[in-house]
Amino acid sequence: MPKNITIYTTNTCSYCPMVKRYLKSKGLPYDEVNLEKHPERQDEVFKMSGALTVPVTIVTQQDDSQEVVVGYNLSRLAPAIA
Amino acid sequence: MTETPSVDRRDSEKVPHDLVIVGAGPAALSAALYTSREDIDTVLFEKGAIGGLAAVTDWVDNYPGFEKGIAGLDLSEQMRKQAERFGAKIELGEVSKIEDQGKLKKLTTTEGDVYAKAVLVATGSEYKQIGVPGEKEYYARGVHYCATCDGAFYRDKKLVVVGGGNSAAQESMFLTKFASHIDMLVRSKLRASDVLIKELEKHKDKITVHLGTTTDEIVGKDSKVTKVIGTDAASGKKVEFPTDGVFVFVGLLPNTKFLAGSAIEVDDFGFIKSDLHLMTNVAGIFVAGDVRSGATLQIASASGEGATAALMIREYLEMQERGPLPEAVVGHPQLYG
Repeated sequence: MPKNITIYTTNTCSYCPMVKRYLKSKGLPYDEVNLEKHPERQDEVFKMSGALTVPVTIVTQQDDSQEVVVGYNLSRLAPAIA
Repeated sequence: MTETPSVDRRDSEKVPHDLVIVGAGPAALSAALYTSREDIDTVLFEKGAIGGLAAVTDWVDNYPGFEKGIAGLDLSEQMRKQAERFGAKIELGEVSKIEDQGKLKKLTTTEGDVYAKAVLVATGSEYKQIGVPGEKEYYARGVHYCATCDGAFYRDKKLVVVGGGNSAAQESMFLTKFASHIDMLVRSKLRASDVLIKELEKHKDKITVHLGTTTDEIVGKDSKVTKVIGTDAASGKKVEFPTDGVFVFVGLLPNTKFLAGSAIEVDDFGFIKSDLHLMTNVAGIFVAGDVRSGATLQIASASGEGATAALMIREYLEMQERGPLPEAVVGHPQLYG
């Protein structure tokens, strides 16, 4: 089980609720950073993901290694949280 | 049909579902509403957003029942809840293959193999790429296909929108919430509805429409988009549009790649062919919505097709159990429904 999961979202992003729904279905808690409420954190996401898009999900493993999943990408998200 | 209970996918190899729907957009959710309401065991597989392209559309003004319009995401959510209220199950997973095994269909999915008595393909479509230099290089780093997803990154910045249809017009207006100015590059003339064209007029302080302007190249520097180079068709001269990002809405591609190698027939553009009953050339496999050849690519018509497909599927499933109906009533389920 991951140590921590953070999802970067916006108000209108339709794929963001999908990531949240998927994590909920797996019983995994997560933190959410809404970039419209916290525009000052946009650069932080871009540096981690290299992308100007949401959702971006940061999965921190028990050994503190991090997996960055850009978009609603189940083929990357599923193994990252396994 | 009711003797087959809704089953967990782990048991699916033992007990097939009555109906598996591939996709969870308006056509799929409407079909699921109808079938699950009639106790037809219905499971949907969705690899992207529930609601499909409707969910990524900022605002929907032409879906009946919402006098003032409704956000695409909210409409999708209401459709989902309504279908789930009657027992439809939505699996978050991808279908990669459909095999016709006669009375049963086998679907290969990310959640394992699933069997069904009938299948509805309602995978919709996705936005096309333009295919110009720079588009792939700057994908998601300055080139985007979803305004509601990525627009917030362009607060007080300049944007280019490529396209002249309903989506381009609607999404350009949405992007004015963030961008300081938008250059809309339209290859020929505006193909958006008259209502949207009039709405665009109201945003002329922020949106400049460039008719007869092709998009030839997206140029960037230090990993960021800096300008778009196009051609003014009338003069043949190159034109440049300094910008921080590009949003592309130039038409739709059907989501049918996963059917490559299957027996299901598609047209020259990849859309799935169907008969008058919305059945494909493979018995028991139906199609509805934007992915169907001849579809009108509207949320309302996709929903209507979903409902029609559901009735045809009900008829098909009943026929599988009790034998064919008289020719005179086939295709008219209301006569005996």
